[in-house]
Amino acid sequence: MRAGTPTRRAGAGRTASHTERWGGYGLLTVLAAAVVVPFLNVFLASMQPSGKPVTGMSWPQRWSLDNYREAWSVAGFSELMRSSLVIAVGVVPATLVLAALAGYALGTMRLPGGDGVAALFVAGLTIPVELVVVPLYFDLRGIGLTDSYLGVILVEIALFLPFGVFWMRTHFRAAPASLVEAARIDGASSLTILFRVLLPLARPPLMTLGVLVFMWSWNQFLLVLVLVQDATKRTAPAGLGFFVGQNNTDVPMLAAGTVLVMLPITLLYLIFQRSFVAGLLQGAFKG
Amino acid sequence: MTARGRTRGGRRLRGYLFVLPALAVYLAFAVLPALHTAYLSLFDWDGVTLGSWAGLDNYRRVFTDPALRGSVVNALVLVVFFALLPILAGLLLTALLARHRRPGMAGYRLLFMLPQVVPLVAVGVTWRWLYGEDGLVNEALDAVGLGGFTRAWLGDFDWALIAVGLVGTWVLSGLCMMLFLSGVHKVDPQLYEAARLDGAGPVREFVSVTLPQLRGELAVALTVTTVAALASFDIVYVTTGGGPGEETTVPGLLIYRLAFSAGKVGLASALGVVLSLLILVIVYLVNRLSRTPS
Amino acid sequence: MAHPWTTAYRPGRRALCGALLAAPLTGCAALTPGSGPDTSRTRTVPRATAVPAGDVTLRLTFADAPEMVDALIAAFHKRHPNVRIEPAYTQFADYVKSLKLTMASETAPDLAQFAVGMNDVAARGDILDLTPYRDAYGWRERFPATALDQLAGSGPGAGRHLFGVPAGLSMTGIYYDKRRAARAGVRRPPRTLDEFEAQLAAARRAGMTPLGVGALDSGGLHLWAGLINNAMPPRDYRAWVKGEPGATIRTPATLRATRRLVDWSRRGYLSESANGTTQVDSTGGFIRGGSAGSVFLVNGNWAAGQVAEAMGERAGFFLMPAERAHARAMASGFSVSYAISARTRHPQAAGAFLDFLASRASAKLVSGFGFLPPDGPGDTSVPVPEGVLGEVARAHRRVTADDGMNHFPDFTAPDMLDPLRAGVQKLIADRTTPGEFLDSLQDVWREHYSRGGGR
Repeated sequence: MRAGTPTRRAGAGRTASHTERWGGYGLLTVLAAAVVVPFLNVFLASMQPSGKPVTGMSWPQRWSLDNYREAWSVAGFSELMRSSLVIAVGVVPATLVLAALAGYALGTMRLPGGDGVAALFVAGLTIPVELVVVPLYFDLRGIGLTDSYLGVILVEIALFLPFGVFWMRTHFRAAPASLVEAARIDGASSLTILFRVLLPLARPPLMTLGVLVFMWSWNQFLLVLVLVQDATKRTAPAGLGFFVGQNNTDVPMLAAGTVLVMLPITLLYLIFQRSFVAGLLQGAFKG
Repeated sequence: MTARGRTRGGRRLRGYLFVLPALAVYLAFAVLPALHTAYLSLFDWDGVTLGSWAGLDNYRRVFTDPALRGSVVNALVLVVFFALLPILAGLLLTALLARHRRPGMAGYRLLFMLPQVVPLVAVGVTWRWLYGEDGLVNEALDAVGLGGFTRAWLGDFDWALIAVGLVGTWVLSGLCMMLFLSGVHKVDPQLYEAARLDGAGPVREFVSVTLPQLRGELAVALTVTTVAALASFDIVYVTTGGGPGEETTVPGLLIYRLAFSAGKVGLASALGVVLSLLILVIVYLVNRLSRTPS
Repeated sequence: MAHPWTTAYRPGRRALCGALLAAPLTGCAALTPGSGPDTSRTRTVPRATAVPAGDVTLRLTFADAPEMVDALIAAFHKRHPNVRIEPAYTQFADYVKSLKLTMASETAPDLAQFAVGMNDVAARGDILDLTPYRDAYGWRERFPATALDQLAGSGPGAGRHLFGVPAGLSMTGIYYDKRRAARAGVRRPPRTLDEFEAQLAAARRAGMTPLGVGALDSGGLHLWAGLINNAMPPRDYRAWVKGEPGATIRTPATLRATRRLVDWSRRGYLSESANGTTQVDSTGGFIRGGSAGSVFLVNGNWAAGQVAEAMGERAGFFLMPAERAHARAMASGFSVSYAISARTRHPQAAGAFLDFLASRASAKLVSGFGFLPPDGPGDTSVPVPEGVLGEVARAHRRVTADDGMNHFPDFTAPDMLDPLRAGVQKLIADRTTPGEFLDSLQDVWREHYSRGGGR
């Protein structure tokens, strides 16, 4: 360290020496490259002529979206993505509503046995899909909910609710109690308090929960693999998983499909980066 | 009970109306199936014909059958790559970077967390090519003169599990790094001031100031990554399918195969229960340990 | 905001109470799982074969030869313009995994390719017994008996039914690149196993990869089965595949054959990264040549079209030789066959498609795609094609004439494929002994058939 004399101004005073500063950026850039290279590799592969055996990282001779067109229409990725979207669009609002309602009651009202119920939800944070998928297949088949979007949607809601309820409960608990009391004294009903007082304040956490749930739903694989046998209703990851073996020889087209599957969630991530980062860093885990 | 008391009691119970929808869906589609799994694990059932009572026999097989036991061991090995390595990488980065605030971190953070966001299936497919015989990994080894070291990584008995594990390291490291860095920035800067006035170097500063403050983040990281390792399925399914031999089979893969292609639903259920209990115990221990000494 | 894991996770008494609270709810699920066979559903196709006049759409799921299936469907559509068939292709390994689930689902396709596990599907009543159509259409005269036998179910009662009809027959063997072989001094197909072994050694001495094996998926087990076919009396092998009491895969002869595979691997006769290569990729490498190009390749007739197109006259094909010259011609093989779902609403239309597979037009189509047309007894009306396709077809005729077609070993039990695939990979990597490997297969066999599997 060159100066070795930290100034008195806390925080702002923690200036770095040149070596430390640029060394730090150098390290970050190396790590960033490690993240980027696999993505770049799959992207470049998707730009090679269809059917060409791809070796290592090679710059395409001609930029073309032919493989994407092929994957989109011929290989059916458009249908796969539509299925994924239908499911996610079903799961996200329902999870938000159910989680907000339950989180509100468990967070602001002193319900008899409420803590036990909250703990029951929290216990669900540890349920891996592997624990429920086997009987779900047989049970849902019995009531005609396999090969149906509704079946997948209901199960995903149930699997994401533990985090959702926990998340909303924590938030509502942190809301100033005086606010709720004041509204109650004014004669507001519980519903009014929720919708007029608390929810307007809860937009950021709801947003975060929404993007997380969308991500978990979009990325879910094992559940869909088991519950959906109908090829026309498979989701994007499940379709990609089925697709991998089939097109071993046509790596460029499969690469295009891979990029297509990653694209929507990546765009969403970039648009809602604040919510995503908040959610991921505040203890969410990959669903 | 007075009228007032009754309405209050009524109101309190009415609160459950808010909880009920969520509770119903959760019980019906998560809790009940979980209990149903435990129940099925006591039967010998092929998924089709009438099953027969098996008692704890399926559990005995989970612990004695080499393939089943091996899958649990493989999952534990994956913990090293999914949990330990990312956490060490995260701590190292934090130690190197945390002493100073850096402009531009948001951009790096966005990038580092991207692997955590995209579908694991797509990640697996991507790495399958990287690890291929003509893949980028071998190309890179050739380029630096280690051509003799190249191989089909995912088909190699010694390397396949490590290769799969490193995919997990790639996915989870960014998350751990960012988790710790954001944790460090919550630390009161005066603690660092004090340490520096005491003449603490980077190492001592890290050990005595940073690390204790990261206890919570460490617990989160360890829990999240360990669960990801034990319950891994997607990456293994698309990269190796469990091979070569049984080198990379994990419980998730076996549960899927046993239940749906081998017709051993009871055994698959028992493995699912054992896996979940393992996760539960580890989560419990991690959180227990992270709390005690404070 | 707090982390759920650290602040909330106190799985103490409360969670336990919650769990106990939920426990009585499972009471309603407390029945012995499963059910007996569904007797209400039709299990046999109707006697009538007339195709209804209205527009009909049939869905077909399959795992082999997409181009051939498209061509068959197009040709069939010309004959029956009111019947449309929508194909859905799934890669083989996934197909096998999901087959039972697919066929048990209410949205099961009308037609499905016959594969491992289909016997269990048949036992459950999810596909129809085709015997009335067999008799009405006269299929016994138009398909070889062995091909129909393989589709007659398994376990007790096997043989009285028919659950599928073959479009094309499959068979495994060994391809070779004549140019590369000549460089190793190999000028003709081997007549004995020892001669083949000497040729492998010569190829290795010449600095080439002797034998291409795609053992990541099923290439390894084709190699092993090729050796076993010649080591074991066909009757014993077939008894094992069909689960007859007392059958075993562990004999001194199979042990020797398995040891030979390990030996070849140790001596470097197999492609170096066999365990990391899929069958498709190993074929690609063989065709492209270059440094990875092997002299020989283990694969089936399904690769013949691709090999012929890319290599032309350079490619040859022979059956895995036996220890003695002029022995019975043996090979592993099955058929690309289709079954009719018990949930179909159009069994007559589906039956018409199956009957179309017995036609001359279909046979010509099928042989053009490297599959072997299922000629009836003594039928030689389909001309033998040129080049490697012809070599495959002639080898197939020899095997049929010698009654040497063995089922693939993974047909033994639905959970046999994984132990086989993993086991051969271990043999190749020298991670298990031949004895252990055969014992593990026998364990799977015993467990399946002692549980009443295949009935």
